Amino acid sequence: MGRIRLENITKNFGGLQVLKGINLEIEEGELVVFVGPSGCGKSTLLRQISGLDKPSSGAILINDRDVTEVSAADRGLAMVFQSYALYPHMTVKLNLAFGLQNAKMPKAEIETRIADAARMLEITPLLSRRPGQLSGGQRQRVAIGRAIVRDPTAFLLDEPLSNLDAELRVSMRAELGALHARLGATMIYVTHDQVEAMTLADRIVVLRGGQIEQVAAPIDLFERPANRFVAGFIGAPSMNFLTPEEAASLNGTPPAGAALIGVRPQHLEPADSGLTLTVTLVEALGTETVIHGEIAGGKRLLLTLPGHRPVQVGGQLTVNADPARLHFFDAQDQRIG
Amino acid sequence: MNPIRFLFRRKGGKGWHWTDLVTWVWLGTGLLIMFGPALWLVLSSFKSPTQLAEFPPTILPYVSQTAEVGINGEVKELPLYTAVTEDGQVRTLAEVRRIGTVAQMVDPDAPDTVYKVNINDRRPVRQVGFEIENYLKPLQAFNFGLYLRNSVFVTTVATLITLLTNSMAAFALSKYEFRGRNGVMLLIVATLMIPLSVNLVPLYSVVSKLGLLNSLWGVILPTVATPTGVFLLRQYMLTIPDELIEAARMDKASEWQIYWRIVLPLTAPALAVLAIFSVVWRWNDFLWPLIVLSRKELFTLQVGLNTFAGELNVQWHFILAMTVATMIPVVVVFVFLQRFITAGIAGTGLK
Ligand SMILES: Nc1ncnc2c1ncn2[C@@H]1O[C@H](COP(=O)(O)OP(=O)(O)O)[C@@H](O)[C@H]1O
Ligand SMILES: [Mg+2]
Repeated sequence: MGRIRLENITKNFGGLQVLKGINLEIEEGELVVFVGPSGCGKSTLLRQISGLDKPSSGAILINDRDVTEVSAADRGLAMVFQSYALYPHMTVKLNLAFGLQNAKMPKAEIETRIADAARMLEITPLLSRRPGQLSGGQRQRVAIGRAIVRDPTAFLLDEPLSNLDAELRVSMRAELGALHARLGATMIYVTHDQVEAMTLADRIVVLRGGQIEQVAAPIDLFERPANRFVAGFIGAPSMNFLTPEEAASLNGTPPAGAALIGVRPQHLEPADSGLTLTVTLVEALGTETVIHGEIAGGKRLLLTLPGHRPVQVGGQLTVNADPARLHFFDAQDQRIG
Repeated sequence: MNPIRFLFRRKGGKGWHWTDLVTWVWLGTGLLIMFGPALWLVLSSFKSPTQLAEFPPTILPYVSQTAEVGINGEVKELPLYTAVTEDGQVRTLAEVRRIGTVAQMVDPDAPDTVYKVNINDRRPVRQVGFEIENYLKPLQAFNFGLYLRNSVFVTTVATLITLLTNSMAAFALSKYEFRGRNGVMLLIVATLMIPLSVNLVPLYSVVSKLGLLNSLWGVILPTVATPTGVFLLRQYMLTIPDELIEAARMDKASEWQIYWRIVLPLTAPALAVLAIFSVVWRWNDFLWPLIVLSRKELFTLQVGLNTFAGELNVQWHFILAMTVATMIPVVVVFVFLQRFITAGIAGTGLK
């Protein structure tokens, strides 16, 4: 059981409004990812949900119960912090047990829960160590274990992988995904890394400046971004934006009112007619080739081609895209069609 | 490691660099300045009253030699001297009596011949020896055991209360956001500027109204709230990440549990520093206990020591010996907790 509803949440720090009216419904068992640039209010929003902080206005409902005024301890949620926040003076086992002891759980039950969680996360041999004696990845597991033993209504994770090195991050990401599938619990996962968001999420919430820009499944977000910000934020390298004049030579006609045309680097391909660009830089990554170029007006354009392509810096290249792959935005940067 | 080699370690390379020399002299002088007086005190505490009054003073304590001499059928214990007699010979003689600048002396083996020796022509025969009496007498006569018990009680109880109350104040001032937090902190630190002598009279009337005069609690309670302690602990607690406390809060810990099970254990190094400070402060307290306590059986050691200094004469040999004895507990505390001190002082930037 873990349905969470946010109604018109705002949060002010002094005169600064950090959250500007957040409305969101999270279904039971869903893994929702909050993504957005640094400082957009992701952590702040998560803290309102956790109860560590109280919103300036609005309501938070967990399983239809209004918990806005309920303390963090009594919301039944568990949180995994970016810094892991393991108690440095306690052994791993005590770290896991602390929350259960506070809940006055019988000793035997605590033991079985810890044993189960430790087995699931493969940290059984570490139980008698202290956090200082663990590697980053192991600490991460313990932090997740501390959340799991509590059997919470929902898990809240604030950039849990950002302190790990790239390789470990990829494997832990996969493990987290598997863990979610196995536990079937509601999870809210905060990250600024769109790859994490795309791979893990059932639904992604894109935030900017304390507002929700779009809520959608990863592929919908990629294929039908609601506005220019989401279009530019999701996908790497990010989308090219052209004015109707610059895009005139591309296939297809922009709908009425289109002030901006977006095309992803992956969707541009060499063609007989279309946009002609002067190549300024070629990045051969092996699996794909990233080509930087400039079109007539001096606007920079990016395209990626699969595999290795022999392209000369300074040479000319004519590219075009499937009209169905183009994105159109109006003067207010909102999606058309 | 070879201690000689250790003492003469150099920067490297051949010969002595001038920085080696400066370092050596600097540290040597420091050592002398720091430990000279303490060593002097300890050595002097084993000297007899006459030796203490001697000029020029000696560094080592000496005990005069005596010999048992039978004169007129009476056996007496007389001090021995190396003296030059009138015939120019050097003899070891015992002094029978002294009249003005002339001493009447006898050879202990042949006590019938009396030599008259000018006191400038003789030197006492003595060797390095320790006047243990300085310690034993006050330990028996002067109620050392009782004073020690009072001092230990005052020091431990005051230190425990200091640690508890100061850490609670520091916890609130470092981990809770409330209006006027910095103002309160400033007020607490500002009290550092008020010397005890200013506080003495109002403090006395408060303690007296509470009926705590002539009670050890009257010595303990006014001292337990220390601005230094609150400041030191608060600065340390500020370094404990807030996320830890939030994690505990998510773990259903009550505020008391957060304080007791999370914050306090993590503040251990700073607590150790404060404990050392507090022990030294309370152990060495003199003026306040002197004012509060007037019944002899409640005296702490420092106040007790004062009784050796009468109006007309000061019994230096006892004072010195008992000063050494009272230093011992503090030294022991230092030895055991010193690693915390260096870590803690380095961490807080406090002296
Ligand atoms: N306690 C606070 N006091 C004042 N401003 C804060 C506080 N917490 C966060 N902010 C501000 O709120 C904004 C959002 O912060 P945060 O939620 O941490 O962003 P992020 O999306 O990177 O997690 C930032 O501009 C930050 O400076
Ligand atoms: Mg954040």
